[in-house]
Amino acid sequence: MNFKGYRWRHRHRSWLATGQQVKEPVIRIALAGNPNSGKTSIFNAITGQHQRVGNYPGVTVEKKFGRIFYRNRILEVIDLPGTYSLSAYSLDEMVARDFLVNEKPDIVIDILDSTNLERHLYLLLQFQEMGVPLIGALNMADEAESKGLIIDVENLSQILGIPLVRTVGNKGEGIEELLTAALDLYNGRLSSSQRHLNYGVHVEEAHNQVIAALEQDEEFTKKYPAHWLAIKLLEEDPDAQKKVQQEHTKADTVLSVTESVKKNLTRQYQTEARNIVSEQRYAYIHGAIKEAVRQNPPTSPYDLTERIDRIVLHRFLGIPIFLGVMFLIYQFTFRLGNPLSDLIGNFFTLLGRAVHGWLPEGILQDLISNGIIGGVGSVIVFLPLVVLLMLGLAFLEDTGYMARAAFVMDKFFHLFGLHGRSFIPFMVATGCAVPGVMSARLLANPKDRIVTILVTPFMMCGAKAPVIAILTAAFFPEHSALVFWGVWMLSWLMAFCVALIFRRTLFRGEQTPFVMELPPYRLPTLQTILLHMWQKAREYLKKAGTIILAASIVIWFLFTFPHSKANDTGVGSVCQSEILAPAAQGGSYAVRIGRAVEPVLKLAGFDWKLGVALFAGVAAKEVIISTLGILYGIENAAAPAANGTSNLNIRDLLRNDPDYSRASGLALIIFVLFYTPCLATLAMIKKELGSWKWPLFEAGYTLTFAFLLAIASFQLGKLLLV
Amino acid sequence: MTNTNFPKKSVLTLDKLAPGSHFCIQRIRAHGEVGQRLLDMGFIRNATGQVLREALFRDPIEVILNGSRISLRRSEARLIEVILIS
Repeated sequence: MNFKGYRWRHRHRSWLATGQQVKEPVIRIALAGNPNSGKTSIFNAITGQHQRVGNYPGVTVEKKFGRIFYRNRILEVIDLPGTYSLSAYSLDEMVARDFLVNEKPDIVIDILDSTNLERHLYLLLQFQEMGVPLIGALNMADEAESKGLIIDVENLSQILGIPLVRTVGNKGEGIEELLTAALDLYNGRLSSSQRHLNYGVHVEEAHNQVIAALEQDEEFTKKYPAHWLAIKLLEEDPDAQKKVQQEHTKADTVLSVTESVKKNLTRQYQTEARNIVSEQRYAYIHGAIKEAVRQNPPTSPYDLTERIDRIVLHRFLGIPIFLGVMFLIYQFTFRLGNPLSDLIGNFFTLLGRAVHGWLPEGILQDLISNGIIGGVGSVIVFLPLVVLLMLGLAFLEDTGYMARAAFVMDKFFHLFGLHGRSFIPFMVATGCAVPGVMSARLLANPKDRIVTILVTPFMMCGAKAPVIAILTAAFFPEHSALVFWGVWMLSWLMAFCVALIFRRTLFRGEQTPFVMELPPYRLPTLQTILLHMWQKAREYLKKAGTIILAASIVIWFLFTFPHSKANDTGVGSVCQSEILAPAAQGGSYAVRIGRAVEPVLKLAGFDWKLGVALFAGVAAKEVIISTLGILYGIENAAAPAANGTSNLNIRDLLRNDPDYSRASGLALIIFVLFYTPCLATLAMIKKELGSWKWPLFEAGYTLTFAFLLAIASFQLGKLLLV
Repeated sequence: MTNTNFPKKSVLTLDKLAPGSHFCIQRIRAHGEVGQRLLDMGFIRNATGQVLREALFRDPIEVILNGSRISLRRSEARLIEVILIS
């Protein structure tokens, strides 16, 4: 770790320890920049471990911020979403824009990739247009220098009228200078010019006319910088138009003035006004770079990135390489994660037993050992998988490979109305739907993201796979492998078809453009990756954990009450030795519900036992088999299965049960594959999409869909399978 | 692509270029979000670039423009009028 970085992180810590009081107001600094500008590394270098994660109000865009103590001042650093531009088309851009307009941070630091100034200065100019107090960080300066790029920082700073600081975020270089510049700008010792580039006589004239129209409403221009909004109106920005329409007292005048000047410009320049605006920005940038940057010697376009891409993006090798990479990530996660999950699971089983032994017999004992410990256990069991997978995906994202993966897979997914990046959540969900849903964050378009999240739980995850394996072995002993494979294929097929249906019905609308940057390959720093992993773990435990715990207790209640000492059919039964006792009259609420809905279940060839087991399976799919074991024990109290959960026993019990035919077996397999996802997944859907309506919709539509499929396959099966 | 003597009236668009071709942008025909994205990525009049490669099934394509690699679908490239340069 760099000495400087350490020093002032250390200073921060000592401030925390002494609890020193500072009276002056907090200085709020917003970090902005393109997605691949190394913004995260600068943010990490400034805030270190003192980061917090929240959401921007009303949206599920992640907001990272942190407070540090620097030169007797408290600085609050807010990490804005990375964007290429400040148009109003993506959620990230809207969030960044609204934050700057509404929250008016004291300082905005724009992180620029020094190796690609052309693209990155484009965003800087847009911040300058907004009139925010701006500093530019010429980041990755070391990389630029090693490429032979010589940037005359002072000259460039003068041309742009914006203070610039040379930084190397992942080594902590220049951070001290950056913060000093921020303080100087705050205190007025440094100035950041709000002058803007000249768009040429005609555009300037048009611009002034729009400004004049805007300034008729003083309240409005106090809220939104007129200069900026006028440019946005010329650019046909839908959000700017909306703001004027809704809030400007003379909206009609403003919009008609804008329309007429835009028409004039289009006639004069033979192209739309917004094209002229972009062209002028780029022309200005080219000029600035020409004056202040020297390329020595000129780089060859066949750099390392190009050499890697020649293999990785090869027309025919691309997809196999991508599948191989995913396979490695997958292996890494589940090979390493499953034993850890098992360990955690065993630990909670033992803990449950131990606690069960310590506590006096009664409802409390059962609640704690089965309900709470079982419930908490079922949350933490997923933790290793979530963390490892997020680690793998963060690595792919930070190196720049993820954009390549989207490039390679896009054609196929586009056929089903999805984006190339949707592949990742699908693939992840074949291991576990919880991180699958989380990884849908890679999708920028909200519709793509919702559709992907809604269908990923169809994948055959690690918990469903053994259940389905036992069921296929029970009902199709001669062709179990073939049936299993067919069912696996069916899960992909259905996920795609349902995605397509959603995209054509509920989530219609223009698809996101695929126009995106393939960033140069870079190795992420260990600190970035570890911080990322830690945040994910904490987030998962905090948000998903509470919901799952509450739900586990509800399910425990349904399976335990009305309470009778002998009626202990706890879900995720930690103490299965308890189950041997005969059922009380009527049984628990869960059993009663199962019996009540049996007539409906009969349509798909299920009886009440399956109903109860499938209901328990909503807690966690593994539980389906163990609950069946318990229920067979209850029903057949004279000869209870010695160990209710023994897979062999269940298989034979199912096979020999006269109530079930191969047709009902097929229906059962299909139902298990597609019905309501487990609580952990539903909790994650709530967390990711921010509203209860989504997990409820998910639970409802999958249940209906699965049941209809089950009825169809049962009725067809009765005809075809003898 | 060596076919430079196409009829005058037909307009060459970026999606028609083979990998390796160098081009100069003449006009952007896109509107709305796609249009804005293209502008933001530097697809403006007189910008020059090169088609680098295409994915399996020839879609999407990758071009290099102003030193950045940018991928776009063929349907999006169709909205960019270009001329070939050597």
